[in-house]
Amino acid sequence: MEKAITIKNLKYQYDQNQPLFDGLNLNIEQGQWVALVGHNGSGKSTLAKLILGLLVADEGEIAVLGQTLSEDSVDEIRSQIGMVFQNPDNQFVGATVADDVAFGLENLEVPSEAMPAKIQAALEVVGMEEFTDREPHHLSGGQKQRVALASVLALEPKIIILDEATAMLDPDGRQMVQATLKKLKQLYGSELTLITITHDMDEASLADRVVVVNDGQLVMDGQPNQVFAQGATLAKIGLELPFSMQLIQRLDPRPQNYMNQQELLAWLSPLNK
Amino acid sequence: MAITFEQVNFSYGQGSLAQPILKDISTTIPSGKITAIIGQTGSGKSTLVQHINGLLKPTNGKVIVNDFELSSQTKEKQLTALRAQVGMVFQFPESQLFANTVLEDVMYGPLNFGKDRLAAKEAAQAALTMVGLPSQHWDKSPFALSGGQMRRVAIAGTLALNPPIIVLDEPAAGLDPLGQAELVELMLGLKKQGKTVVLISHQMDQVMAVADWTLVMHQGQVVAAESPKTLFNRPLSWFKEVHLDLPTAGQFAQQLVAQGWQFKERPLTLEQLAQAINQEVAIHE
Repeated sequence: MEKAITIKNLKYQYDQNQPLFDGLNLNIEQGQWVALVGHNGSGKSTLAKLILGLLVADEGEIAVLGQTLSEDSVDEIRSQIGMVFQNPDNQFVGATVADDVAFGLENLEVPSEAMPAKIQAALEVVGMEEFTDREPHHLSGGQKQRVALASVLALEPKIIILDEATAMLDPDGRQMVQATLKKLKQLYGSELTLITITHDMDEASLADRVVVVNDGQLVMDGQPNQVFAQGATLAKIGLELPFSMQLIQRLDPRPQNYMNQQELLAWLSPLNK
Repeated sequence: MAITFEQVNFSYGQGSLAQPILKDISTTIPSGKITAIIGQTGSGKSTLVQHINGLLKPTNGKVIVNDFELSSQTKEKQLTALRAQVGMVFQFPESQLFANTVLEDVMYGPLNFGKDRLAAKEAAQAALTMVGLPSQHWDKSPFALSGGQMRRVAIAGTLALNPPIIVLDEPAAGLDPLGQAELVELMLGLKKQGKTVVLISHQMDQVMAVADWTLVMHQGQVVAAESPKTLFNRPLSWFKEVHLDLPTAGQFAQQLVAQGWQFKERPLTLEQLAQAINQEVAIHE
């Protein structure tokens, strides 16, 4: 199967003295959920912009679903990728939730009779089907981000990139969006590649694979439990371990490997008997 | 400098269309401490803090900041005196950066309040040092900085006016763990200087880490005004009612309680939780 994204020897700098990416290589398989983590300014959002062709690399090659990114292919590549940004209030154009989801479809010249079913289906996936006629500004942050996700889903992308999409949400909103992402993975399986850019390690722990970026370099790449086993390295680059791992480090006796909160609760359970 | 709310009501609109947002609030934010204002989205937190510097005036009642009394009768002209006392940092303040260089951006406030360029520059440099932005960035465009650095420049813009009261609306939102830890240090540093810090936060761990006092807002009312420790020891049913969470450690402890664990006191921080679990395990060994 073709890779969802292939990045070869990518070089990019904002200004002359400060190369950000200096020969970056990264492959992302189709159907993978990859969490791209790093501190503010580590280059993870820039990487997303390069993949989308919003920024142009100085050197190297980016391919999306087997197609090399170029001036000629950028439009087609963008049609395969859906993007959800950080600020839920900057993403709305429609007067109602349904209008908002319709906007992208209109741009793709989807016939109007085909739209209602597509809109309804997309809103159902994110659990917002009862809000079709609501005005977006009356929704909570978590609801807005789910509508933004529905707008993207309606366009049937192969890849969705969420750039700090939960960073501005309150804890309820964050949980809502994370639960929706888990549901998407179950629904679409290998049909959908998810890339979540985040510095929330609890969110990263939901992914199949965690890629840690620091100063434009890939410093770690592996399953969440492999990455979280290297707490000292993460701390050195300004990242925090997930809560469960921080707790594990303070326990006596303690499990030998990373566990998420549910696994840790189960592990602790017999110790109280 | 304490802030006192006396029977404050605030509504948008008038007459039969009036929509009450704040309902009969009487409370005091203590001087020289860090007070966290918490509550779910739409509970009235931002409306409340906008009464501290007169961005909004109470429909009824008054807000007393030092010797300044804010009521529906207060004239716009009088508000300058209040605004010199209260520095406000809004959500995502980096969206308000505008100048060509970091230093110019931070100098804008002091210049606007009548300082000469030299004094404004000194105030800006002091503020940038306080927020921990290295001087190599001061002559750069603020838009060339990372998100966390831009946030610090925006906060420095408020600190440069040296106000005795500083209000921060969700200052940590979107910052990475390091940025959040630096922000906690900054708030503790401001308190050390004797400033009154008011913080709106959704992050209960942060509240536990920095706040001396908490105000909980629910449906336009202050439903709790107490220390974080007292607050987070309230019954769980109460938290459900006001749609708030415990700090992460408290939530985890609660799940252990559901499995039959018993704790003498509810653990509220990571250290307390680890200690409590280790003690329980030692007893059962």
